[in-house]
Amino acid sequence: LFLVQIIMMNLDLRRTETTVFREAGGCRIVGRGGLPLIFALLLSLPVLAFATTGYARGLHAGASRHSVDEKIRYCEDCHGLSAQGFHGYFPIPRLAGQQPQYLENQLRAFVERNRPNPIMSNVAHVLSPAMIKAIVARFQRFHPGPAGPGPKRLVAAGRQIFENGVPHDNVAACAACHGPNAVGHGEIPRLAGQLYPYVVKELVNWPKERGQNPASPDTSLIMKPVAHSLTKRQIEAVAAFVSNLR
Amino acid sequence: MMALTVNEWRGRRVLIGVSLPAAILASVLSITGYAYGADETPGVSQRALRAKLDYCEVCHGVSARGFVGYYPIPRLAGQQVEYIQNELRGFVEHKRMNVASPTATNVMFNVGHVLSPAMIKALATSFHNLDPKPFGGAPKQNLADGKRIFTEGISSAKVPACESCHGKDAKGNGAIPRLAGQLYPYVVKQLTNWSHERAEENSNIMAPIAHGLTDSQIDAVAAYVSYLK
Repeated sequence: LFLVQIIMMNLDLRRTETTVFREAGGCRIVGRGGLPLIFALLLSLPVLAFATTGYARGLHAGASRHSVDEKIRYCEDCHGLSAQGFHGYFPIPRLAGQQPQYLENQLRAFVERNRPNPIMSNVAHVLSPAMIKAIVARFQRFHPGPAGPGPKRLVAAGRQIFENGVPHDNVAACAACHGPNAVGHGEIPRLAGQLYPYVVKELVNWPKERGQNPASPDTSLIMKPVAHSLTKRQIEAVAAFVSNLR
Repeated sequence: MMALTVNEWRGRRVLIGVSLPAAILASVLSITGYAYGADETPGVSQRALRAKLDYCEVCHGVSARGFVGYYPIPRLAGQQVEYIQNELRGFVEHKRMNVASPTATNVMFNVGHVLSPAMIKALATSFHNLDPKPFGGAPKQNLADGKRIFTEGISSAKVPACESCHGKDAKGNGAIPRLAGQLYPYVVKQLTNWSHERAEENSNIMAPIAHGLTDSQIDAVAAYVSYLK
């Protein structure tokens, strides 16, 4: 809660600076001199400097450092500090350390209604391609600890499924694609440190939440038979295992 | 093309969803030795086979054309039946290792050791009959070098022409594997680590050849075969 307050204060401060900057601009247009204007300009200098150097240093053309910072803060409102995931009304997934290609694909899936989710659809459809590139690169570099680890008593059983699969039940080993440390690869997502209730929810609801637009099939189809073959108990075990990984 | 294959795949998924209880019944019947249907491999029901093929394709890709997960996962489509049988035995007997990814060896051990000989035969035959396009993605600048190595070998390094065993079209024969359309990173990894990873039957044939190839020659020949249809 304390950290959230700090963020709110930061946001307020930022708003104040922006207001001063706008007022300063206004004064210049009117062309009145005097101390108040100089004071306002002086106040606005750091903002100006920040904005210009931010733009120049922007990692991706079209998305300034400043605007990326703002967008990341906006994502963190729901996805938690350092995007480590957050328990809101729903479990909201960790994005930290996630594979950029996977995040890009999911943002596209929200827009194309492969993942019907009105909130994320609204979030995604205003993002420019440059902004998407910039924020997914940023998320991959975050490395907070797990925010929602599952029950420790299930971890051993979960590890067994993750590393070996359940060959009798035609469940493939998660490690073959997600990697032995569950960090993912390209379009295959990182699972390490993902929220336990989120992983459970996704695996239980896979055929209802993923790949819902028949006009644009996506890679979520790969997981469909796997999710289908796992029992609820197996899902909980494997979710507990990955949610405890760092 | 992708959309079509994925749709085909989706069709199969639906079939599985509908037929799973029947598949369980069928596998029980097959274990107890009862014939299930007329035109099936003895001991293997079509439904149990279909479920197992779908399971293989989770990692080995749509139509088993190969897939790059965390590791490059090889194409099985069009592969020689005897070779697939031999490799599964190699995994189960811990003769085929994987130095870069021990987990992957473990995965294939687990996959292999629950398969009945009849299921292995049925799976290998099904894979042999698949013919999807190559996975692609290999660098194209050294294809000519790769072709020369494949068709002529490198006599100075005592590397024989690959085609003398794997065939002109790289489709293999019996115990000798098909290489056509195999994933570039997979072929590179195998040839690079041959003597550390492969100790299954017949694998000693390739050991001196893999040893005689330089890294750039391996890259070239792997790229060449990866584009063959």
